[in-house]
Amino acid sequence: MESEVNGILVAAHELKAPLGLLRQLALSMEYAEDEGELKKIQKQMVGVSERALRQVQDLTKIGRLDEKMFEMEPVAVRAVCDEVTEELRYLYRFNHRNLVIDYRNRARLVVANRELLKSIVYNFCLNAMQYSGEDTESELNLYDKYDKVKLEVRDFGPALPMDVWRSLKKGWVEKPTSIAMRPGSSGLGLYIASKFSQYMNAKVGAIRHRDGTSFFVELPVSRQARLF
Amino acid sequence: MIYIIDDDKIMAECVARVAKKLGRETRIFSNGIEAMAEIDRELPELLFLDILLDGPDGFTFLNELVSYSDTEKIPVVIVTGLTLFNTSFSDYGVVRVLDKNKMRPEEIEEAIIKYGR
Repeated sequence: MESEVNGILVAAHELKAPLGLLRQLALSMEYAEDEGELKKIQKQMVGVSERALRQVQDLTKIGRLDEKMFEMEPVAVRAVCDEVTEELRYLYRFNHRNLVIDYRNRARLVVANRELLKSIVYNFCLNAMQYSGEDTESELNLYDKYDKVKLEVRDFGPALPMDVWRSLKKGWVEKPTSIAMRPGSSGLGLYIASKFSQYMNAKVGAIRHRDGTSFFVELPVSRQARLF
Repeated sequence: MIYIIDDDKIMAECVARVAKKLGRETRIFSNGIEAMAEIDRELPELLFLDILLDGPDGFTFLNELVSYSDTEKIPVVIVTGLTLFNTSFSDYGVVRVLDKNKMRPEEIEEAIIKYGR
């Protein structure tokens, strides 16, 4: 019960930020210099609310995992990554960040649920953008590892705290916890990625670097024929 | 010149928009290290500071600020989502604490008029 309440509090904390930001954006419309700036504010409001909505949707999906609502299917992992990076392109550019994509896998299909996998990639990429400094590059790498495809997102932000790293070594995060060294984060995205990975029998983990963190998920390769 | 230090660029721009309306120039920094390097070149008239930042946090930045004779007098307005309202930071040059979730542009305006040059 206590951990459930903690989880709710952490989720509430994480969702408070976009709501506060939306409020400020709405109030600052009055101070916009011209039509162009108003359009920019509007675009930002849409972006902020879309990201918050995605997080709420992910949280509701966690509630439906026990009901086995998400079917496993062969998924082209490159296509999912392309979709997410396309969605985040504007946001990366706006924040003066760059996402370098390196697909070294042989484009094999993995066994996953497309929707859940998309959420994992989205959370990893958003996290990397948030914690990398201005004018730095984050990296999205895909490569083969025996009978798995490893999807890794590297950021150049503060190193991941040891306790979270240890928890990830076990293969999952039990509950969203405060990640003080990574400001503004309750680790909710990581918790979501961890839950979805567990459901898909995929392994989630992190590698600590002195100048940042790599988050990864290893997905089992589908026995179906390769795409190309 | 007004400096705004916040790793949330959208939030920083909201503050900058108000300052611009008052005819003030602004510079936005996503962390304290970059801001401190710039302060060495040009002292700002006023500084808006977030607490939870990438790298050293706002408190570390404040400590650094008060440790130099030329920067200790820069008025600082803390803009944060943290609850800090029972704490006094006047020894650190903090003239006001604004709650990110409750503040109104008029309060930013008032702080600029009152504490800026």
